[in-house]
Amino acid sequence: MKKKNLMQEIWKARYLYLCLIPLFVWLVIFQYGPMYGVILAFKKYSAKLGIWGSQWVGLSNFKRIFMTPIATKAIVNTLQISISRLVWEFPMGILVAILLTEMPGKRGKKVIQTVLTFPHFLSWVVVACILRNFLGSDGAVNVLFEQLGLDTVNFLGSERLFRPLLYATANWKEMGWSAIIYMAAIAGIDPTLYEAAECDGASRLKRIWHITLPGIRTTIAIMFILAVGGIMSAGFDQIFNMNNAMVADTARILDIYVYDLTFKSVPDYGFTTAVGMFTAVINLVMLLGANQVVYRLTGEKMFR
Amino acid sequence: MKKIKMRHKRWDGVQIVATVLLLIFSGLILIPFWNAVVISLESARAYSLHPFSFLPAEFTLDNYKEMFEKGGGLLLAYQGTLITTFFGTAAGMTVSVLGAYAFSRQFPGKKLFFRVMLFTMFFGGGLVPTYLLYRNLGLLNTYAGVIIVSLVSVYNIIIMKNGFEGTPMELQEAAMIDGANDLVIFGRVMLPLQKPLIATFTLFSMVGYWNNWYWPMLMLTKGNKNVLQLFLRGVVNGTILGNTSGASMAAEQQWFPQGVKMASVFMVMLPIMLVYPFLQKYFTRGILLGAVKA
Repeated sequence: MKKKNLMQEIWKARYLYLCLIPLFVWLVIFQYGPMYGVILAFKKYSAKLGIWGSQWVGLSNFKRIFMTPIATKAIVNTLQISISRLVWEFPMGILVAILLTEMPGKRGKKVIQTVLTFPHFLSWVVVACILRNFLGSDGAVNVLFEQLGLDTVNFLGSERLFRPLLYATANWKEMGWSAIIYMAAIAGIDPTLYEAAECDGASRLKRIWHITLPGIRTTIAIMFILAVGGIMSAGFDQIFNMNNAMVADTARILDIYVYDLTFKSVPDYGFTTAVGMFTAVINLVMLLGANQVVYRLTGEKMFR
Repeated sequence: MKKIKMRHKRWDGVQIVATVLLLIFSGLILIPFWNAVVISLESARAYSLHPFSFLPAEFTLDNYKEMFEKGGGLLLAYQGTLITTFFGTAAGMTVSVLGAYAFSRQFPGKKLFFRVMLFTMFFGGGLVPTYLLYRNLGLLNTYAGVIIVSLVSVYNIIIMKNGFEGTPMELQEAAMIDGANDLVIFGRVMLPLQKPLIATFTLFSMVGYWNNWYWPMLMLTKGNKNVLQLFLRGVVNGTILGNTSGASMAAEQQWFPQGVKMASVFMVMLPIMLVYPFLQKYFTRGILLGAVKA
C-alpha cells in the first residue's frame, strides 16, 4: 500500500524529475566521471593499459609526495601564502566597507564603489597584463622613481618582493568586491544604536569600534572560516599569470606544481593525481571543519 | 537656520580620513588602467620620451592596426569568446534554472539528489582525471569542451533555489488548481517572478565565460580555435607577436610592442568596461543573495 503511494508521489513529480535530468546528466558524466579517475592516485599509470588496467601501487604515490623535496616545498609555499593572505587580504574588505560607510556624500560614494569593484570582473590575465605594464622595468612606476632620483625596482622579478606583490595586487583587484558583503551587514545594524551612542557623546571611532565591528562580527567570522576552508588553494589564477622564471621557486604552490608536472614534463599521471587529491582532501576536511565551527558559533550550518 | 547649519556641518576627522583613503585607493586602481589606455594610443617615440604621460603625447591608432595585422588571431579569438559566451550562458542557465526550480519544490528523493549535487562542490576528480576524461570523449580542441567544463556552478544553483523558494506558494497553488503541471508553473509563475534573479546569474555566467582562460588554455592547443583571454596571454608572452621583451626598440623595429599589448588588453576588457557601470546593481545583488544564506 505504502509502495503504491510512493509511486504515485513520484508520478506526480514527474515533471520535476524531468527538470533535473540535464543537470544530473552533466553532474554524473563531467563531475562524477573524473572522480573515477581518482583511482589513478593509487596506480602507476600506463597509457597502454588505461586507467583501469594500470597497476595498483597502494599508497606509494602519496608517500612520494613527502619524499620529494620540491613537493614538500610546494606544500610549505601554499600554506605560507594562504596564511599571509588571511593577514594582508582578509581585513581589507572590512576596512573598505567601514571607510565607505563613514564617507559622507552619496554620489561620490557610489562612484568610488564602482571604481573599487570593477577590477573584480576582469580576469587575472588582463589584470596581470596591466600591472606588468605599470610595474615593469620600464613601466610608469619605475620611470617615476627614476625622475625622482630613486633606484628602480624590479617588482616582478624579485623573489623578495613577489609575495608582497601578490597580496597587494589581490587587494587591488578584490578589496572593493569583498567589501560589499560587509556593507550589507553594516546596513543591517539598528540605526538607533548609533543615535544613542551619539547622544552619549561617543566619537565616530568609538562608534565604529563598539557598534559597527560587533554588529558585523558574525559576518566576519563566517567569511574568515570560509577563507580558512580554502587554505590549500593559494590563488592559482593570480600566481600563474604573474609567474616568471625569476620567482618560480617562491611562487610554486601545489596547484602550480600539479600543472607543471602534468603539462610541462613527461607526465606521471598517478603521482600528479595523488598530489591533486591530497590538496582536495585537505580542503574538504578544512571546509567541513569550518562548517562545524560556524555551527557552534552561530547555530547556522552553511552546508546541510 | 538649522538646516543651513546642518548642510555646512564640518566633516570630522574620521570622515576626512575615510574620504582621502578611498580617493587614494580609487586613484591606485584607475591610474594603471589610464596608463595602459594612454600607451595603447601613442607611438613608440612618444613613449620613450614621456613614458608616464597623462595624455598620449603623439596620438596614433597604429597600435590597434598593428594588433589586427600582426596578431591576426584577434578576430578568431573574438569569435571563440562570443560563441562560448553565448552558447555557454544559454545552455548553462537553462540547466541551472531548471535544476534550481526542481530543488525549490518537494518530491521523493529530493534530499538524496541534493546531496549528490552538493558533494561535487566539495570534491572533484582534480586536474588530471578531468583532462583525461575530456581527451577520451574527444572534447579537446572543441568549443563544446570549453563550454561544458564550466557549464554549471552548483553554488549558484543553490542560491537560485533559495530565491525560488521565496516565491509565494499561493501563486503556485492557484496555478495547480487551474490544472497547470509543474512545467507550466515554471514557465508562467516562476520565470516571470524571478526575472531579476535569473538576470543576475545570467550576467555572472557571461562574465565567467568572457574571462575564461584556464580550460581553454588546456583544451584549445591546435591553434584553429581560440578565445580572447588566451589570445591576450599569447600577445603578452610573445608567442603571438614574436619576441617582444620589454619595450626594447631596435632601429629596424617599426612597431611598438608595449603599445600593441595594451591595445590588446583594452580590446579584451572593453565590453566589460562598457556594461559594468550600468549593470553594477545586478552584480551586487548576486553576492548579497549568497550572503543572506551564508
